[in-house]
Amino acid sequence: MDDAISADDLDMLADTLRKTMTASSGQALDKALVELGWLEMLEEMSDTAIPLVFRLLGETGAHAPVINDVVLIEAGRGAGETVPLPYAGGTWVVWERADEPTTAVDDETPIHRVSSGEDVPLAAGRRALGWWLVGTSRAMLTLARRHALDRVQFGRPVASFQAVRHRLAETLVAIEGAEATLGATTDDFGSLLAKAAAGQAALTAAKHCQQVLGGIGFTAEHELHQHVKRALLLDGLLGSARELTREAGARLRAEGSAPRLVHL
Amino acid sequence: MNVAEFRSNLCAWLDENDLTPSPDDHSLDAHHAQHSRVLSVLYDAGWMRWGWPESAGGLGGPAILRAVVGEEVVGRGLDEPGPYSMLEVLTPTMIDYARPELAAEMVPLLLSGRETWCQGFSEPGSGSDLASLSTRAEQRGEDWVVNGQKVWTSFAQYATRCILLTRSGPPGIPNHEAITAFFVDMDTPDITVRPLRTMHGVDEFCEVYFDDVVVPADRMLGQPGDGWRLAMDLLPFERSTCFWQRIAYLYSRFDRLIAEVNDRGVQDGEDDAALGGAYLGLHTLRCRSRDTQYRLGAGTRLGPDTSIDKVLLATAEQHMYDAAHDLPAGTIELDESSWRTEYLYSRAATIYGGTAEIQRNIIARRLLDLGKE
Repeated sequence: MDDAISADDLDMLADTLRKTMTASSGQALDKALVELGWLEMLEEMSDTAIPLVFRLLGETGAHAPVINDVVLIEAGRGAGETVPLPYAGGTWVVWERADEPTTAVDDETPIHRVSSGEDVPLAAGRRALGWWLVGTSRAMLTLARRHALDRVQFGRPVASFQAVRHRLAETLVAIEGAEATLGATTDDFGSLLAKAAAGQAALTAAKHCQQVLGGIGFTAEHELHQHVKRALLLDGLLGSARELTREAGARLRAEGSAPRLVHL
Repeated sequence: MNVAEFRSNLCAWLDENDLTPSPDDHSLDAHHAQHSRVLSVLYDAGWMRWGWPESAGGLGGPAILRAVVGEEVVGRGLDEPGPYSMLEVLTPTMIDYARPELAAEMVPLLLSGRETWCQGFSEPGSGSDLASLSTRAEQRGEDWVVNGQKVWTSFAQYATRCILLTRSGPPGIPNHEAITAFFVDMDTPDITVRPLRTMHGVDEFCEVYFDDVVVPADRMLGQPGDGWRLAMDLLPFERSTCFWQRIAYLYSRFDRLIAEVNDRGVQDGEDDAALGGAYLGLHTLRCRSRDTQYRLGAGTRLGPDTSIDKVLLATAEQHMYDAAHDLPAGTIELDESSWRTEYLYSRAATIYGGTAEIQRNIIARRLLDLGKE
């Protein structure tokens, strides 16, 4: 636990970060974060900095190649570069630091395949992406909730229909569950599980929120699709929920029992 | 004493004092006898008293100590999760709503296993809509007279007392102000208990009939009209310490499933996906429940947020038993084992204690602020 920062300072920092992420994205945001002291925060108070920065990336819909920094620092290497990252399907990608065209589903993010990479520690990166996915999920839920309250059909807000309400409730359950796993996590296996829970939550949120938003959520003019696509992209990075869940199962068999990773 | 130290002392004590149940007898009577035996020994050794106030025979300390004891007792298979969990919903109610002398007299009887109590809440016409209950209590002189029927009353056939919800007062009072609770002796004349047959083959649920049953006024819990609040006030306990016990139980069963899968020796990726998925649900639930207990311990008033815990529990429980059903396919259908009973019981996890639909309604209304349906 980092004691380096007071609650008030943390709120102010969150405010500043949110404004910065609302104003810029990509390479410009990468630079702005460095100016705000991102790399120092990552070195000195990563337990605070990682949840804060990555969750806000999700909530604001901004992006920056800062997952590189998290992985590089955990690997004991210098931040500010890129590093090949494992992707779903046993493949590798690089998240470029410059704004470049991409073939990724999320066409804002300069991520592309590379032929190979070297094994790097992934625990901190998985936690970071977990927070990002949770932030993205919250953003989708906020959009869907607002729409459900505003959109009138059959003479009443669609939020009054139980089928709609239950989808949104299910989304919140998934998000809160994932947040609990992220908040409880300190070790490798816990980070794997937290990334899986967050990936699953984001896919659940994408499915339900897309449905609740109906036609408007399928248009490019509505911002939902950017969050949906980011959720898809981030779920695959450093292992998808599906793959990590299977890996967890293999590990349980190898250990012969189910570890109790958290205690009262 | 910190919690980790408390746990390690408890574990050391349990390692030295073998309370393992007889492996031969799986009847409900045997479970009940084991329940009483375990509580009696643990009460005498002090373990059952931690986390309860001294005014009611406890030794004080935070509620989290009870969760630790419950985790070990149920996780080690010393007591079944059902009967053990009853303590957690009955005791806080007595401490908060009974006259102090009554609580001081009665609570030790329950915690020491000398008595078993039940909870008369649900009725044939009042399941999810509990506030619509129609069992009547009418004042006659110094006493109250109760008429009506309860159902889904767990372990009523073993119970010496019942915490009973009734409707009192004239018609026209809003439901939530019309309910009054009593602490009723089950040997009072004209109470009839009839166990229900259920699909999992364990007759733990009962119907309880009240025909002109006389209850002294000093057995009222709280004031007339406090019954709804009483029912709501026990939810934070049911969904914190109580859930922690159930989680411990599910982990212990999951350990067993993993061992059985390994024993069979043939695995493939699908097995891993099923085991991993079940584990992810349990781990998520455990992390969430720990947070909830820390919040309760810090004095936070738990409310609709525990509906999330409830949904996570029911989902994880069914997910785990779905895995047990599939690994290997055919076992639950063709072979007699405890897995069949447990699998069938798990189908009720989204029904009892507030259905999954009611929980989602609460989440939508209270946590997401979606307005009325």
